Amino acid sequence: MHLAHLRLRDFRNYARLDVDFAPGFHLLLGDNAQGKTNILEAVYLMATLRSFRGVGSAQMIRQGAKGYFVGGKVVGQGEAEIKMYWSVAERNLSLNGRTVKKLAEYLGTLRTVVFCTEDLQLIKGTGRVRRRFLDLLLSQTQPGYLGLLQRYAHTLRSRNALLKQRSLDEVALEGFSRELVAVGTEITRQRREIVPRISPLARLAYRRISNDAEELRIEYLPSVKKDFAVELAQSRARERSQRMTVVGPHRDELQLELNVRSAAQFGSEGQKRSVAIALKMAQAEYLTGLHGSAPLLLIDDVMGELDVKRRSGFLPLLEQVHRSRGQVFMTCTEENWPRELGLELHRWRVHAGALKA
Amino acid sequence: MPLPSSIAALTAALSKLPGIGPRSAERIALHLVQSESGAVSQLADAIVAARVKVHLCTTCGALTEISPCEICASPRRDASLVCVVERPVDILSVDKGGTFHGKFHVLGGKISPLDGVEPEDLRIAELEARLQAEPIQELIIALGTDVEGDATSYYLAKRLARAGLKITRIAHGLPAGTGLEFADELTLSRALEGRRELS
Ligand SMILES: Nc1ncnc2c1ncn2[C@@H]1O[C@H](COP(=O)(O)OP(=O)(O)OP(=O)(O)O)[C@@H](O)[C@H]1O
Ligand SMILES: [Mg+2]
Ligand SMILES: [Zn+2]
Repeated sequence: MHLAHLRLRDFRNYARLDVDFAPGFHLLLGDNAQGKTNILEAVYLMATLRSFRGVGSAQMIRQGAKGYFVGGKVVGQGEAEIKMYWSVAERNLSLNGRTVKKLAEYLGTLRTVVFCTEDLQLIKGTGRVRRRFLDLLLSQTQPGYLGLLQRYAHTLRSRNALLKQRSLDEVALEGFSRELVAVGTEITRQRREIVPRISPLARLAYRRISNDAEELRIEYLPSVKKDFAVELAQSRARERSQRMTVVGPHRDELQLELNVRSAAQFGSEGQKRSVAIALKMAQAEYLTGLHGSAPLLLIDDVMGELDVKRRSGFLPLLEQVHRSRGQVFMTCTEENWPRELGLELHRWRVHAGALKA
Repeated sequence: MPLPSSIAALTAALSKLPGIGPRSAERIALHLVQSESGAVSQLADAIVAARVKVHLCTTCGALTEISPCEICASPRRDASLVCVVERPVDILSVDKGGTFHGKFHVLGGKISPLDGVEPEDLRIAELEARLQAEPIQELIIALGTDVEGDATSYYLAKRLARAGLKITRIAHGLPAGTGLEFADELTLSRALEGRRELS
């Protein structure tokens, strides 16, 4: 799959942009603050309807403009035309000229994996970051997972609101508990299934890119050990004192260990960075295996920070993308773009919200 | 030149109506002030008359001009069967199906902790009174399949359970969500389930 055309209107620092991209390897070169990352952000937005910078849509509207437009043509098995418009008052998403009514029918049109400096939060950040990693992977691969997740979040918020009321209506609470258990159990099941699938991929990727001989181990530590209904009932005393739901998939953890020691606590900075990249490579390889073609790789500033050994660990993945006529977009400032990548490169100069070949 | 203040006031009032944004509100206001005044008076009278005449049926909570409403008063309706819905308008959509010949009860909402709607805010006590007074043998709960609809259905089944009363549930309607909010699942692919007994 590849993005054959990208069209931006009033997106970040791009007033208007129309550009064609061939399959293959694209280097986005330019000084700081010229709009390199913004391109990756727009591509990722089309794939996931979110910014990988974790900001809302309002921030992506070009300063002074009313709304942004992001559109593109995706060429894979067939062709798909994506159009997104977002303003405070109006938003629209269409696929091949038809308004998208169900996200499940849209997600998957464009698949991407992003590598960026924020990935370090996968190791350093709270469990929320790691749960989001799992959730994104599951939303990309399991139809209906996103719906489950949103229903769970809504039920959880409702239930917590009930727990905060002065007088607790036990029957009403039970109504929401049942819902939480039904949806939460399914989320736990899907997370439990996917972790062993990506864990060996991450271990191999880590071995390829790291300089040390340590073993990366990923383990799923669900909050619910066996039976959500039973464990929820057992937590009532703690719920009552903390006035919130204390067991459930919102408390799951994904444990990352190097030689049986927590990567967050004992890993060096370089090791943490390698673990983050290994997780993302595992994600890309998992998606490739599942769909038979590689996702678009969006690599932001990451390569420059890596030494030659780590970079060369990347090569098999890049070659895989190349073979399946996929695409890689990589941002670099001039000085540090990795010259050893001998693949045919398309070089783009990014300057003040414009792209030049 | 800014618009006269009476037009601005009308626009503001109109834009409070459901489904009418500021732009349409202004268009309607401009249309009204340039319309023939008889037509505008008729519209104003119709609005006031409807508001004065229509109220909730004291029995079932439907919108009606007479109380009890036509359905509650009808001898041709099966009085042993009552369908519980969220809003008055839901009566229309259930009734349109043509297969239901019982009576109705409008709850006036769903238990929704996030909106501060508690069981006491709903017409549940009225329903309990009807269970005492009427020969009701079966309640069919027809609430949406969103989280609140499910939780409220369960709540009703628990609170209203009594000997000789069957309580069943049919899925009715889809979770609201017409405006597309990115990264929000719009409709949960829950097939319309058959009527099943709640335990
Ligand atoms: N909403 C917006 N409206 C207008 N300009 C914006 C908006 N958001 C960001 N920018 C501008 O975009 C530029 C940053 O773009 P981007 O993050 O893509 O830079 P970059 O080329 O990746 O730089 P670096 O090499 O430092 O990472 C800045 O000039 C910033 O002011
Ligand atoms: Mg950047
Ligand atoms: Zn009535």
